[in-house]
Amino acid sequence: MLESAELNFNADHGYLEGLVRGCKAGLLTRRDYVNLVQCENLEDLKIHLQTTDYGNFLANQATPLTVSVIDTEMRKKLCREFEYFRNHSLEPLSTFFTYMTCSYMIDNVILLMNGALHNKPVKDILVKCHPLGHFTEMEAVNIAETPSDLFNAILVETPLAPFFQDCTSENALDELNIEILRNKLYKSYIEAFYKFCKNHGDVTAEVMCPILEFEADRRAFIITLNSFGTELSKEDRETLYPTCGKLHPEGLRLLAQAEDFEQMKRVADSYGVYKPLFEAVSDSSGGKTLEDVFYEREVQMNVLAFNRQFHYGVFYAYTKLKEQEMRNIVWIAECISQRQRTKINSYIPIL
Amino acid sequence: MLGKDQIEIFPSRMAQTIMKAQLKGAQTGQNLLKKKSDALTLRFQQILKKIIETKMLMSEVMREAGFSLAEAKFTAGDFSTTVFQNVNKAQVKIRAKKDSVAGVTLPVFEHYHEGTDNYELTGLAGGGEQLAKLKRNYAKAVELLVGLASLQTSFVTLDKAIKITDRRVNAIEHVIIPRIEHTLAYIITELDEREQEEFYRLRKIQEKKKILKEKSDKDLEQWRAAREVIEPADLLAEEKDEDFLFE
Repeated sequence: MLESAELNFNADHGYLEGLVRGCKAGLLTRRDYVNLVQCENLEDLKIHLQTTDYGNFLANQATPLTVSVIDTEMRKKLCREFEYFRNHSLEPLSTFFTYMTCSYMIDNVILLMNGALHNKPVKDILVKCHPLGHFTEMEAVNIAETPSDLFNAILVETPLAPFFQDCTSENALDELNIEILRNKLYKSYIEAFYKFCKNHGDVTAEVMCPILEFEADRRAFIITLNSFGTELSKEDRETLYPTCGKLHPEGLRLLAQAEDFEQMKRVADSYGVYKPLFEAVSDSSGGKTLEDVFYEREVQMNVLAFNRQFHYGVFYAYTKLKEQEMRNIVWIAECISQRQRTKINSYIPIL
Repeated sequence: MLGKDQIEIFPSRMAQTIMKAQLKGAQTGQNLLKKKSDALTLRFQQILKKIIETKMLMSEVMREAGFSLAEAKFTAGDFSTTVFQNVNKAQVKIRAKKDSVAGVTLPVFEHYHEGTDNYELTGLAGGGEQLAKLKRNYAKAVELLVGLASLQTSFVTLDKAIKITDRRVNAIEHVIIPRIEHTLAYIITELDEREQEEFYRLRKIQEKKKILKEKSDKDLEQWRAAREVIEPADLLAEEKDEDFLFE
């Protein structure tokens, strides 16, 4: 009931919600982006970032500054904040955080599996793993010889176990293409996450479920778009679509039959939410691509999540917005360092 | 005689003909080599122009490729580790062919595609379009690099060949031909001197003979005047021999 949310939420999670709202206020605004775009080189960028919430995070870095250093430091900062939230959380918020880290864990596991299969040293791969997706069994990955060994020995302990069971039996793990495996895992993950939010009910369900539905549909569209002209068959493609979105079941069936962008657009036209998005896409090089349009919509929905109180969606939204901000800053930094200023304004503004 | 660099050879008419033939050979050789050098230099200039063009194009293409990498990273996240780990065989390979210019073989590299794209499904969930653009840009860059490599190896080989040919042309022009000409001149002077000596010798002998003859004529006169000369028997004078048998 709504009343219970208002009454009990602050007792357990009020401090963290206040904290995350404070962090959200520190996101870069349009004016900050305009300042960044006008920088001549990366040193200028660093000076401008010092006036924002980022502060002196680049203070101890060796010159010359490179874009990858900026990226790593920003990610470290985000991880510190995330870990702080997570460590101070109580149930069921902690499960919510675990769900959030699952997507990074999936990427890390795919990386480790690939590396172990090709006999690469584990330490190199561990450095490349996303820190938010860290799980304790990571270093033990190199013991396994085959993927099914890997699953039996190690992954059973992680939160990812049910996703592996969902998507395939253990024997089939060996033959599966890495990308297909990644997408299948992600599909199970997002469906599980959706169920969790829905079961929780309350404002959280009201806020998170549309976001997750959009994420599922977006994934379906992008997979379809990117599989035109590849070897991926239509049946395989259909198994990768997450079913927790608005497109399920009719839209997904139609999408699986689509063979080019026009057919995809026609499927989207029957859904009120997606029709304007597809209209905004233009083919010319100066226009927006479908991915840009989806990113903008995601940012919009995440910002709207902050308009309501007493739900867990604020944490999800904050993390996603921070990631988008990181992507924006890296994009601007790359444009500056490669002296290609024509597309420097293609970042996604947030506030 | 042998102060300038000359070939040591006994001066004779035979040697002279041999030397003349050699001179002719050297001159023809020099002409041929000069023509070869000109052809090589022409090709060299062409290659140089193409190299400059390709290098300019290269900087543009590399810049664009680097930027498309940044674009792809923006939408698809960091896919570099996945790419590194899935590398097994090369998709673009090079064949070396030979091209010949005026007798100099130049290596030429030609690229060909083999095998299918391992990374077709990378970026399936995001950034696929940018990744496709990235692949195209870098494929173009690789093709350009292969062409540039052929041009540069040809450049270096041609450079060496031109230097060798020029060295030979100069050697013939400034060393071999003068040597032969000096030898020829030397032979001719020697032969002339010998002829002079012959004439001189013959003349001296004739003078000597004349003096001797005059002297013997004078003596003869003196003897004839003293009537003590016995005319030698003249074999051709007819004499009647007396018959001994039929008196």
